[in-house]
Amino acid sequence: MEGASYARMPRVKIRELKDDYMKFELRDTDASVANALRRVMISEVPTIAIDLVEIEVNSSVLNDEFIAHRLGLIPLTSERAMAMRFSRDCDACDGDGQCEYCSVEFHLRVKCMTDQTLDVTSKDLYSSDHTVVPVDFSGGDPSSVESADGRGIIIVKLRRGQELRLRAIARKGIGKDHAKWSPAATVTFMYEPEIHINEDLMESLSLEEKKEWIDSSPTRVFDIDPVTQQVSVVDAEAYSYDDEVIKKAEAMGKPGLVEITAKQDSFIFTVESTGAVKASQLLLNAIEIVKQKLDAVRLSEDTVEADDQFGELGAHMRGG
Amino acid sequence: MNAPDRYERFVVPEGTKKVSYERDTKIINAASFTIEREDHTIGNILRMQLHKDPNVLFAGYKLPHPLQYKIIIRIHTTSQSSPMQAYNQSINDLDKELDTLKSGFEAELLKFSKDY
Repeated sequence: MEGASYARMPRVKIRELKDDYMKFELRDTDASVANALRRVMISEVPTIAIDLVEIEVNSSVLNDEFIAHRLGLIPLTSERAMAMRFSRDCDACDGDGQCEYCSVEFHLRVKCMTDQTLDVTSKDLYSSDHTVVPVDFSGGDPSSVESADGRGIIIVKLRRGQELRLRAIARKGIGKDHAKWSPAATVTFMYEPEIHINEDLMESLSLEEKKEWIDSSPTRVFDIDPVTQQVSVVDAEAYSYDDEVIKKAEAMGKPGLVEITAKQDSFIFTVESTGAVKASQLLLNAIEIVKQKLDAVRLSEDTVEADDQFGELGAHMRGG
Repeated sequence: MNAPDRYERFVVPEGTKKVSYERDTKIINAASFTIEREDHTIGNILRMQLHKDPNVLFAGYKLPHPLQYKIIIRIHTTSQSSPMQAYNQSINDLDKELDTLKSGFEAELLKFSKDY
């Protein structure tokens, strides 16, 4: 009893791709799918983050839990995360979450011996697994904050005589559990705007009026050709659905000067990653997770059987 | 102190079924599916996919309460189909759509890294 298929054939086009940033177009699908992907990227794609900290010595100015919290927020390279086990369903270590299948151990030992303040950074963390290390941002953009000295993420600062010694366990988790496991810095999507200028109405405006109307848009969506004095759309996607140009046209007594619609089946996504996984991999992982979630909500055999029996009973009751 | 464990939001408790099915007692071909530990992510894509099926007369989902981690999907179909059939069909179709999306993106990624 297989019915017809109503599956769509979505198309994707990448516009911009960097390790931690991606912009792409998604077409021929609807907002529910776009939003599912966005939600999953933010809160359900797994990463690895420090989850348990045992402090041996801490004579720094920050208290133990403050440092433990800061350690948790450090992004760790998490290509392994999809294949790793959650500690809570790892059978190799009876759920104490300290075995190689479900955890990674880190050590940190720093003591300040000089009169100069010592920065303890993510680079002082030593990992038991070379594939899971604090994310290194210094290779990228030279204008980024920390590549100025290329020294990782600061955890705490020590003065002479102060010491920090600890052991940390990193585990697999998802953003729903705690935001430290979220691989996404931001994920957004917008409908692709479609802008039509009513040329006849536009030509009824004077040059001054045209300029005034163009300037009413908070973002630079329209421009005017200095020679022909024709108004054209220069960047449709700069439009933020603020309706300012529409209100302005009405205020000028020219309603319908421009018509702007959102294309319901076309989206522009921007994905920024924390560096735990590459932006492109983040989308692929998200697709995989949605598929897994769908698979998990399939009806089980016993539910179907129970209904078959109930169905006969129901048929009797209905006099069938 | 007495806060519930955080994982209770997404781990189905032991002895509970992920999906349970309940027929409507009054209307033929109407039923509710209760899905444990799921939210708008699954609820909304299933609802929208069900709307594509011409045999589905009604499809809706609700999250009864933000602290009850379950959703309820209600489906009403014509006599040509059944809620269970429509439900399975929508999952299969979404799965197919995601496969298309995945292979499309992988091809695009390959093309993009070559041009780079």
